[in-house]
Amino acid sequence: MPSPPQLAIRLERVGVTKRERVLLHDVSLAFEAAGAYSILGPSGAGKTTLLRLLNRLEEPSTGSLWFQDTPYAEMSPLSLRRRVAMVFQVPVIFSGTVRANLCLAAQLERRDAQPDPDELSGALEAAGLDGGMLERGAAALSVGEKQRVCIARALMTQPEVLLLDEPTAPLDPTAARRLIESVVRLRELTRLTVVMVSHQPEHAQSFGGQVIVLADGRVVEQTEAAQFFRAPTTQQGRSYLDRTLSGTRS
Amino acid sequence: MSTPLIDPSWLQLLASAGLVLVAIGLSAARSLGLERDLGVAALRTFVQLLAIGYILGFVFATDHPAIIAGILLVMLGVGAWTVAGRQRRPTAGLRLLVLMCLSTGCGLTLVLATEVILRVQPWYNPYYVIPLMGMVIGNSVNSATLAVERLDSDLRGGREQVEALLALGASSRQAAAGAMRGAMRAAMIPITNSMMVVGLVSLPGMMTGQILGGSTPWVAIKYQVLVMYMIAFSSAVTSFMLTALRARSYFTAAHQLREDALAD
Repeated sequence: MPSPPQLAIRLERVGVTKRERVLLHDVSLAFEAAGAYSILGPSGAGKTTLLRLLNRLEEPSTGSLWFQDTPYAEMSPLSLRRRVAMVFQVPVIFSGTVRANLCLAAQLERRDAQPDPDELSGALEAAGLDGGMLERGAAALSVGEKQRVCIARALMTQPEVLLLDEPTAPLDPTAARRLIESVVRLRELTRLTVVMVSHQPEHAQSFGGQVIVLADGRVVEQTEAAQFFRAPTTQQGRSYLDRTLSGTRS
Repeated sequence: MSTPLIDPSWLQLLASAGLVLVAIGLSAARSLGLERDLGVAALRTFVQLLAIGYILGFVFATDHPAIIAGILLVMLGVGAWTVAGRQRRPTAGLRLLVLMCLSTGCGLTLVLATEVILRVQPWYNPYYVIPLMGMVIGNSVNSATLAVERLDSDLRGGREQVEALLALGASSRQAAAGAMRGAMRAAMIPITNSMMVVGLVSLPGMMTGQILGGSTPWVAIKYQVLVMYMIAFSSAVTSFMLTALRARSYFTAAHQLREDALAD
């Protein structure tokens, strides 16, 4: 009998309420190690809140989260965030070179840390960038390159889970498609669990893995991406997909 | 040569109000709309200084340490309320924090200046303590106001950077370090600028007052140098403590930005 898949992160009946507004309601999810997950849903569905919870930038109002077998509440938030790294929608680049940006994670642990050059160029290449661009000024890069530098920087913490919050939102369609291809390759190269929030179902289709649809703070569908795009299993999933695809076509 | 001290009569003082009347007239001529404010400000200057004159007369006459300590506490309290009042959300916690930092910064300055450097006898001698502390507290209030304002605007404006650092595993202290540096720099700019230009483009009030009061220019200058250094020390200690402790209020124990601290 095959052993059950190892879980990277588990949520048990998680709710988030802010200023009397329910952002997430009774969400239970399991993210398997080395899995690929796309979180879809309309604006205000709670996608970003869910991702921020996973990175522990927010606390749940109810329920609990687990990293492997340890409750989030029992882990140091700092070490958790290194194991569950997050990349934001708008790329945040710090002053200096690409190298300075990539060294940041190590230098937060030890001020004078200088990561191995091979490790730095390896992270850049894993994010789909040229490994030789370490000395370029980070501020002068294109938005797409900046977003990849942010991914490479997140990889420098050696995470087990990578959270991507609408990474393609500020990109043009070509750059967006290339970024998704890079993330797919990254998953093939590593055993990284990737959870990606997206507004665009076609990116989730290219990304593969599982699709989780949120609406009004609830999980309304969770299924294989191939199945979802062939025939969503729930009425809410189907209506979300129809609405989004018709919006794309119009 | 010693010049006899001219004690301005009340009538002469009233005549000097004519200078403000000219300023009010210029404001009216140019439609600046400052006439009322200038009038009220001139009146307040007179009333407030008259009141403090009576209080100082009483303090100097009684020469009692408890009264002098009380005066200093009132000055610190008003200073702390002023700093907090200038902020977006002047909470009771902020007032207390500013009071604590101002008291530490100014108190340390007082002890070092009067006990270690000048060796004032007795320690509470009001002729030294009150004017020196007046200047130190006043300037530290300015520094503290700038520090708290700048810290708040940098943490709000740089929220994305702060959260990006947190997401990389930075502690809240590491994530706020840039904003804290900015706040400290802003707090130290006024006294740094003052020290740069003192004597070249400005003759400070204390020095001028001492010379008018009959001191030799050398004594006045030595005291002015001491005061500038005291203000630099007090501003640095106050704003250092304030930015470090205030920054903590923006984060939870789990190193997350607090929504309520950033809410408008």
